[in-house]
Amino acid sequence: MASNDQASDVATYAATVRAQLADLPAMERDVLLEDLEQHLAEVAAEGEGSLVDRLGPPEDYAVELRAAYRAGRQTTQTTQTTQTTQTNQRTQTNGAYLAESVRAAAHRVIDSDWARQVVAFLPELRPAWWVLRGYLAALILTAAFSRDYPLGPIPNPATKRGLAEILAAGVAIWLSVRIGRRSRKLPQGPRVLAISANVLIAFVALAVLGNMHTFAYSELIGTATPEQAPFNAAYAAGPLTNIYPYSQDGKPLTNVLLYDQDGRPITVEQSEAQTIYPTGADGKAITNAYPLTQRHMNGDPVVAPRVAFPPWPTPSPSASPSPSPSPTR
Amino acid sequence: MSQAEVDTTQLLKGVLDLAVLAVLADADSYGYDVVRRLRESGLDHVGDASVYGTLRRLYQAGALNSYVVPSDEGPHRKYYGLNNRGRKALDQSAQTWASLSKALNHLLNGRSNSHGK
Repeated sequence: MASNDQASDVATYAATVRAQLADLPAMERDVLLEDLEQHLAEVAAEGEGSLVDRLGPPEDYAVELRAAYRAGRQTTQTTQTTQTTQTNQRTQTNGAYLAESVRAAAHRVIDSDWARQVVAFLPELRPAWWVLRGYLAALILTAAFSRDYPLGPIPNPATKRGLAEILAAGVAIWLSVRIGRRSRKLPQGPRVLAISANVLIAFVALAVLGNMHTFAYSELIGTATPEQAPFNAAYAAGPLTNIYPYSQDGKPLTNVLLYDQDGRPITVEQSEAQTIYPTGADGKAITNAYPLTQRHMNGDPVVAPRVAFPPWPTPSPSASPSPSPSPTR
Repeated sequence: MSQAEVDTTQLLKGVLDLAVLAVLADADSYGYDVVRRLRESGLDHVGDASVYGTLRRLYQAGALNSYVVPSDEGPHRKYYGLNNRGRKALDQSAQTWASLSKALNHLLNGRSNSHGK
């Protein structure tokens, strides 16, 4: 309701001012009055009472506006001309010119609308920092009081301990926001102290977060090296019936003897194919020389499967052409 | 308006540009805030229309940048800030003002001294 009143008040006031300045040249009038409504709305939003009470009659406002706009016009133009002359004088020495262009470039960044908008927006992010600060403070305390506790970004709410941590974080956030809202205007000394405390919290939190075992990290440990998993687990999808060893440069090897950690020969499961083991000098079959020679039931020899070789860190130029992915891909 | 107020208003007209530039050199600001800061500095009689008109003129002359900042409490605010040209104009006007006020103070002191004799 109040804002509706304000809006109509602004519109009426602005319309009267515009009418009073109708005789100005169109371009001047546009420049001068372009933001009038917006400006009056700002004024109206920051105080009690109607615009007439606070700014006087719109007719007087228009007279003052006209005077203010007309007053400095000549002065400003003179100032500009003098500036140009000065700039020309400065460009005469190279060093000064360089310094001037660096300064101008820096100012172009600082003066750019986006830089100003970013700077103007930053204070809006203060409450976000208050919340984050409370959370980080709770995290730092948890880390400080429990050495070997597996610290996570969000505690498990199903455990008593996790629930307590979440509650503690809630209290810390509440406190932090409370402090933030109260310390709007500090004198110089306490202000420096407060800023230092904030920076300290951020740095300590960085150290704590650096040591944190995140979910992604523990998952990585579990799945990083599937090739090294035990045979049974790794080949749960199907029986392991043969092993095809290759040298580093991709050449197929024959009669490679495999033993496990206890020195026992590694054997594989029997498949539908018939395996022909070589016989040793002692008359016993050698069952762990790979790849095994196997024949299908119909008599066809079992052929080696197509394999993809891993790309080595430094591929040797002598490596035979292989289906390994090239490092440039 | 008292005679003193009229005097202040008349004198202020010439230096309002300088005053507004000085306020903006301190920090970017929107129209009503400029008025408030001028009044807080002791320029009690500065009019809102004068400041708004001066801001628009300085903006038109290329001495100011302007951008809009959304506000969740009220209307969006149009902020003004000095650019390179504005800073140069401020430096120059400040020098002019310094020499002018020095000369004028000298004159006024001379007058009060001769009165004293």
